Amino acid sequence: MSMEYFSGFTDALRITFVQMMIIAIIAIVIFLYGMILNMRKWGLGSTGYGLEPSSGSAMVFLKTLIAQIRSKGHGQPFLTTLVLDILLQRRILRRSPLRWFMHITMFVGWMALFIISLIMFAFEVLELIGFDANPAALRDMVSVPNDVFSYILLVGVIIAIIRRLFMTNVRENTIAYDSVLLVGLTLIVVTGFISDGIRNGTFWGLGLDYATAPPAALFHVVISLLFCIAYIPYSKYMHMLATPLTILANKGGE
Amino acid sequence: MAKGTPSINTNNLTAVQLMELDACTRCGECENWCPTYDATDKLPGISPRGKIKRWKEYMSKSHGLMASLFGPKQISDEEIQQFNDDLFQCTTCGVCGTVCEAGINTIELWESLRANLVKRGNGPYGKQSMFPKLIKEYHNPYMKDQASRLDWVPEDVTISDNSEIVYFTGCTAGYNQQILALATARVLTKLDVEFSMLGEDEWCCGSALVRTGQQHLEDTPREAARHNVDALKAKGAKKVLFACAGCFRAAKVDWPRLLNEELPFEVVHVTQFLADMIDKGKIKWEETINKTVTYHDPCHLGRHVGVYDEPRKVLQNIPGITFVEMDRIKDEQRCCGAGGGVKAGIPDLALGVATSRVTDAIKTKADILASACPFCRRNLSDGKDKLGADVEVEDVIVLTAKALGLSVE
Repeated sequence: MSMEYFSGFTDALRITFVQMMIIAIIAIVIFLYGMILNMRKWGLGSTGYGLEPSSGSAMVFLKTLIAQIRSKGHGQPFLTTLVLDILLQRRILRRSPLRWFMHITMFVGWMALFIISLIMFAFEVLELIGFDANPAALRDMVSVPNDVFSYILLVGVIIAIIRRLFMTNVRENTIAYDSVLLVGLTLIVVTGFISDGIRNGTFWGLGLDYATAPPAALFHVVISLLFCIAYIPYSKYMHMLATPLTILANKGGE
Repeated sequence: MAKGTPSINTNNLTAVQLMELDACTRCGECENWCPTYDATDKLPGISPRGKIKRWKEYMSKSHGLMASLFGPKQISDEEIQQFNDDLFQCTTCGVCGTVCEAGINTIELWESLRANLVKRGNGPYGKQSMFPKLIKEYHNPYMKDQASRLDWVPEDVTISDNSEIVYFTGCTAGYNQQILALATARVLTKLDVEFSMLGEDEWCCGSALVRTGQQHLEDTPREAARHNVDALKAKGAKKVLFACAGCFRAAKVDWPRLLNEELPFEVVHVTQFLADMIDKGKIKWEETINKTVTYHDPCHLGRHVGVYDEPRKVLQNIPGITFVEMDRIKDEQRCCGAGGGVKAGIPDLALGVATSRVTDAIKTKADILASACPFCRRNLSDGKDKLGADVEVEDVIVLTAKALGLSVE
């Protein structure tokens, strides 16, 4: 395999594209397996209010969900729900501006970094299969937005940690289910900043030797893939999918 | 329970409702608003998010990843019974759903869980278990004679045999709070509205059975809905008036769902009807009510169906009334405590919630706490008595009758 991931490194320090691909595929398989399990579990429910339970098939769940989203009845239009209640998270804003700010920074930071990563990955693949995609140039181009969205995400994470630690009511009601999500997210953000800092020799590099950049980057990528993708169906991360689908199914909610 | 058999099943829960369990972000907003959680000094078992968490765990133990790999993990009957008892300490007011950041339809989730546990043999709670038998046998929950449904009708009220407008009285107004039925009938007569009533052909709307998860027992609510709809059709109904918020909600939401058909008539709450008459200039007030009035939104009229403005319009239109609002109103209102079978099953809890609501009213310095539902009127009156509060609890229709110069004696 001639194409290598993180082409900004010297040849000796590069983490191979194959390694990344294997980890990514494993993460995706674990994610898909978990999603199928969840959808089969949800598929044990009935297809409508007051009806008999179903057989436990993922298709039953999907059909029920789509039917409910498309059903007529009270509630707002699909697009209104999508924009105001899912993308802009109006329901949280109505209840707590602080919680909304915390959540929207994490949502925007996370989603933007995810999309940027996907685009960078796509450029690497294009280069690999013979197109002149120039992933190195792209990486330079997205360097600033990458930093900006990383800091946005960091702000959200810091607020979340402060709430969990110092707001009595929040702290007393925190359980492992909540903590794992926050610990995972913190780990991803911190390792991301450190690995990038080592590579660029900035403050976040903590003065670590440049030779540690590849394993640091690898660690960050593995952690990110595990938490961002693989662990979603098995943890509170599941709300990233279940909550928007619930809001859509209930047409914006009451 | 045989080993290897899941302790719980998914009866009465939809596939989307099972997903909703995983949508809860545990933000805890529901706990800030739940009236029964508040009235029980924040008993952890009653917390809406706590109930979602517990059933989610039961689902994992019975049908999750580990259960599919190694077999279901047993949940003790005592634990499930405790969950059931906690679940029924809820008025199904739905404020948890209104404030839920994940948009979970909690009213239907609680009702579905109740139905599941009733089928399992755990629910309902206390005297609620009498509802199916009484309603099946007597067609009303008060063991009253159907033939006496119209005994309260005075000579000055004319009821047509058939009419496009039919007044559906409801069991509570028809038997136990006849002042409301009397006021409604006299107001309609005064406004020259030709109307008919079902009399002994009126059966319980079935609301209590649906709210307490007993809708499947002998199919009683569906039978009642079928009977009532057919009887109303036979009367020639184009518009059916309800002065009871519980019956109104049942007819508007539950009947079409139970029968799986659109109703052949319009379902209208009497406050909507009166607000429309005001708009058309057809109401000429004859008396002044020089009082400060605040309004309590019944859950079944407000949050469940969305009727908020019409009762306020009626009150604000009555000469002399100074209208004031409580802190928690409309979709964020605090429940009176009577709904969801709580008044019958857990009267002390109902009273606790009622005192909180009456306290809300006292803070406004209102002379009258008005509502538009016989259950709210009764429970808020009990709350007022418990507090010894100097506030009158009355229904909008009674105030309307008085302002039209009508006697409600």
